[in-house]
Amino acid sequence: MALTRRLRALAFAGAAFFATAAQAQTLLTLHVRVFSMSLDKTTVRVGETFHLSITTHVDQPVLELDNVTLPDLSGFEIGGDERRCSSSGRGSECVEVLTLDATEPGMRTLGPAAMDAVDARNGKPSRFLTNSASIDVLPASPLSSGLPPWLRDVLLAVLRQIALLVLGLAALVALVWALTRRKPRPLAPPAAAPPAPAPAPAGNGATWQSLLAALAGEPSRPRVVAVREVLRKRVGARDGETLADLLARRAAGGDETLRGALLAVERAAFCEDARLGEAVRAALPLLERLDAPAGSGAASRCGA
Amino acid sequence: MTETAASGCAPQTLLDALAETVVGQRPILEALLHALIAGGHVVLEGPPGLAKTLSCRALASAVGGTFKRVQFTPDLLPSDIVGTRVFDQRSAEFATAFGPIFANIVLADEINRAPAKVQSALLEAMQEHQVTIGPQTHRLPEPFIVTATMNPLDSEGTYALPLAQMDRFLVKLLVDYPSPEEEVRILERFGGAPPAMPTGVVAVADVLRWRDEARALFIEPRLARYIVALVAATRAPHEYLERGASPRATLALAALARARALTGGRTFVVPDDVRESAPAVLRHRLAFNYRTITDRVDPEALVAALIAAVPTP
Repeated sequence: MALTRRLRALAFAGAAFFATAAQAQTLLTLHVRVFSMSLDKTTVRVGETFHLSITTHVDQPVLELDNVTLPDLSGFEIGGDERRCSSSGRGSECVEVLTLDATEPGMRTLGPAAMDAVDARNGKPSRFLTNSASIDVLPASPLSSGLPPWLRDVLLAVLRQIALLVLGLAALVALVWALTRRKPRPLAPPAAAPPAPAPAPAGNGATWQSLLAALAGEPSRPRVVAVREVLRKRVGARDGETLADLLARRAAGGDETLRGALLAVERAAFCEDARLGEAVRAALPLLERLDAPAGSGAASRCGA
Repeated sequence: MTETAASGCAPQTLLDALAETVVGQRPILEALLHALIAGGHVVLEGPPGLAKTLSCRALASAVGGTFKRVQFTPDLLPSDIVGTRVFDQRSAEFATAFGPIFANIVLADEINRAPAKVQSALLEAMQEHQVTIGPQTHRLPEPFIVTATMNPLDSEGTYALPLAQMDRFLVKLLVDYPSPEEEVRILERFGGAPPAMPTGVVAVADVLRWRDEARALFIEPRLARYIVALVAATRAPHEYLERGASPRATLALAALARARALTGGRTFVVPDDVRESAPAVLRHRLAFNYRTITDRVDPEALVAALIAAVPTP
């Protein structure tokens, strides 16, 4: 019995020796500079795709490396395996990229990957190992985890429809906006005509007279401006209208007193400071001849 | 509101004389007179046959100063305008042959038909009132005013004036067709014979005096702010404006308003002077963007809207 066991062990050892020797004869002789493994994500959810890359750099020109042993990938689904090698005068670089989907949650450590080759530095068959890499696989998103597949499909379809609807609405709004924007906007509209001056309320005459009395007592630019404002309101001057506009539009040309008063006040409002007194003295008789203008009780711009 | 009792010829005399030669186009003649008083250059734009050149010639003839006309063409050279240095064999020295720019009133006819190099030759003359020929700089006679004409219809073979040069023009005037009544008067007055030019209506000294008087006219602080607000309105962000007017436009607007006040016989400026002067001062200083073309916006209406949006004092 014991002999049988020894013979079996000897036979196994011999077979192993010859197998290793035969394998050593098929191994590539390589001077391995880099043999590493990396992940493009450190955290994924169940069902989420990520990539595992194994990079090898050797001094020898090689077309492919087919003796790389992948790490244990249980708990992951392999969605793809892409290999490429490029050679140059400085050796070859081979990259194998695995596309993986996590199927089980939990902290997982992948690797190391292994490669068998004859080490060119000592001529001996060797096994090169990469580093390990960790990835945290989280449970699937609530939408996809706790729901039955048919319900998930329905929800996804509804969400897709809502997204399409929102996109369509956004496009419609953009189109309407663009069409509206291309229309030439009306340039500054003409100033709206102010309402016709209301009949002079009782008491306005007194205010007008007090304005004139103040102007006569102490002629100053703010007082002239205040009188001018009230007078312009009386004749229905629009915002932005100049005296020329006013005289052209209004029938003020027919009322010589009013026309004279407007011209005299304009002169007093814009003449030189040295001539202000003279201009006011010339304007006052014309202004006093006017009836009490409507709106003379309104606050003046200059607070005279 | 007539205030002045100026000695010598009044600006109105010149205006009346011009109106005898040029039928209609009263606003153009007034603007030419205002620009002459303000000391600025004028560019007139309008279709052919609207008395643009005639107005400029009549102005020059009436003022009594020297007048030169240069027809701008694509092969014109800067030396054709400012002059050049020529070698005098008898004295064995270089002498300066002065160009037509050395005149009181220079008519640059169809200015946009000359290339940029020639247009640029006018820049120094227009801004500094001097030209440099060879090593020497020569002062131009005073008053010196460039009146340029442009035809907006035949755009082929024309060179658009750069904004820097357009800014040198005090005003840009748009010349429009006369009314049917005015056209009948044109027919009656100039039935074949060339129009008679008013000669020596005023002297150059009168123009220089008007300029001095205009500079002394009073602008009330509220009006000064109105002038600044008008120009600033062109610089505010606007969907059709690329760039607004410069401070040179502010100065130009004040100068033109003063000239208008002087012509109106006043010693002070009123809001009407400013507002009426604004379109001519601003319209050529604004850079409109492409949307004015795509949206078919009339630049003139745009300028009017900008002005109307600023409250008058």
